[in-house]
Amino acid sequence: MTLVPVTYKGGIYQHDIIIDLIEDLGGYIVQKHIIAAEVVLQCFVPRDDIELIRRIAKPLFGEVTDSPLVGTEIAIVSMSLEIHHLPHPSCDIAEYVRRIGAKSNMVSLARGPGKRIAGLNDEERDVINEHDIAVYLMGNFETCIEYKMPTLLRGIDVPVIVCGGPDKEILKKIIDPPVDGYVGNVGRFMHRTKESDELEKLDEIVAEITSVLEKKREAIAKDPLSVSPARLMDLIMEQVPAIRDVTSPTPLTVQMAGLRVKLPYDTFAADLRKIEIEDKITLGDVCNVVPSRMRDYILVKILPFSETNTVI
Amino acid sequence: MLAIEYFEVECPEPLGAAYYKQITNVVLLDHNLLRVIHKLHIFIDPKVPIFIAVGMLKKITTRVRVGDFANVNPLEGKITLVISDETYLAPMLKIFWQKFGKDHVEQPDRFTVILYDIRVDPKEIEEIIVADPSESLYKDLIYAFRLIAPEGFRLRSEIFSNEKFSFVASENILPENLDTIIRNKFALMGEVP
Repeated sequence: MTLVPVTYKGGIYQHDIIIDLIEDLGGYIVQKHIIAAEVVLQCFVPRDDIELIRRIAKPLFGEVTDSPLVGTEIAIVSMSLEIHHLPHPSCDIAEYVRRIGAKSNMVSLARGPGKRIAGLNDEERDVINEHDIAVYLMGNFETCIEYKMPTLLRGIDVPVIVCGGPDKEILKKIIDPPVDGYVGNVGRFMHRTKESDELEKLDEIVAEITSVLEKKREAIAKDPLSVSPARLMDLIMEQVPAIRDVTSPTPLTVQMAGLRVKLPYDTFAADLRKIEIEDKITLGDVCNVVPSRMRDYILVKILPFSETNTVI
Repeated sequence: MLAIEYFEVECPEPLGAAYYKQITNVVLLDHNLLRVIHKLHIFIDPKVPIFIAVGMLKKITTRVRVGDFANVNPLEGKITLVISDETYLAPMLKIFWQKFGKDHVEQPDRFTVILYDIRVDPKEIEEIIVADPSESLYKDLIYAFRLIAPEGFRLRSEIFSNEKFSFVASENILPENLDTIIRNKFALMGEVP
């Protein structure tokens, strides 16, 4: 059964029918938002059953759309938290990818701005590496991007997409070591993105992220994960009641090959490891449970089949 | 950009110059500073790196008087002021309290101020100067140019006078021949510093 990421949008009336249906079909709901009288569900559903969900949702005026970014956590790396980069373009981009299902976090560097003085410290590096992909938002000058990119990429092992003011071809030429994706003509600007050509640029960033993540998905498919992250999310939700008291919008953040659990590591790591998934196989057997560099959260990294010899 | 007679951004990277022209335009517009700038020349060299902005200012003598935003109506021994714009209400009340005393000033609602038992000609009240926006002009200009300049350029040299200004920023030590560079940039606009 292949699970595909989709977004369901519909009225609040009888939306529990859809939730039950998705759960009965073996799908998982990653995030549920209720905005006024509208419900947005970001979920994984079996590929063959999408039509069935569409059919049942039709009388409720619900619609199901593909959202390839559901179940991914994206780091939007902004050079600083100064007004030079915020709220435009950093927040514009972070918010745009959020609309199509991704969980985006803004990572702002302590010493990101400038040319010679730009740097990346170990905490920033580790936090970026905890994500599925990092989107670097650079400035307008190719000289600066060329100069500081090697420093900012040091130690980063997740796929990186660089957005910058120069054209895409120039970015490809000047960035060394090469990164996974480039989006040109999106540098520093100080106005809201609302014109159609600016929105097209945001779509281009999303397309670039999607294509890079698709490659990552293919790589994961070659050596599949021992357990699906969405399934782990459901199990933790059932067996660790404390997660229900977390006030964060996503107490459990699903990643492509893991999960961020927003509970203190020292108190809950042992409990998490003991969770039984199936046939006496515990979470600790198929995952590495490590402390996250983000606050005192827990990071669950799911091991691939080649290491555990089990797929459940 | 009709309000500015001369506006150029000079940069070895043409695309970068175009972006900075847009940023400058947006920032000056947002901070309502286009009306005070007469000429503006910006030079950015990311290789050095250095950011230089030189320009000429317009003379602005727009002192805000009570009559500009309030109707003064004398009636039966009291003077009623009907406020149309609240922006300068607070400084106006402060001046009234100082001049007439709190006992003689009353504000029954947001848009009305009543002055009791005072022997002043309503014309005089209309002429009272409440605020002078040009006082904070240099502060606003410096703030705006800090926003326009690329981030991280923390070494700055600012010279603002009545008519002319120069703003230089870099992340390295500023060049020794800074005066010559500034003079050259002024010359491009047909001015002398």
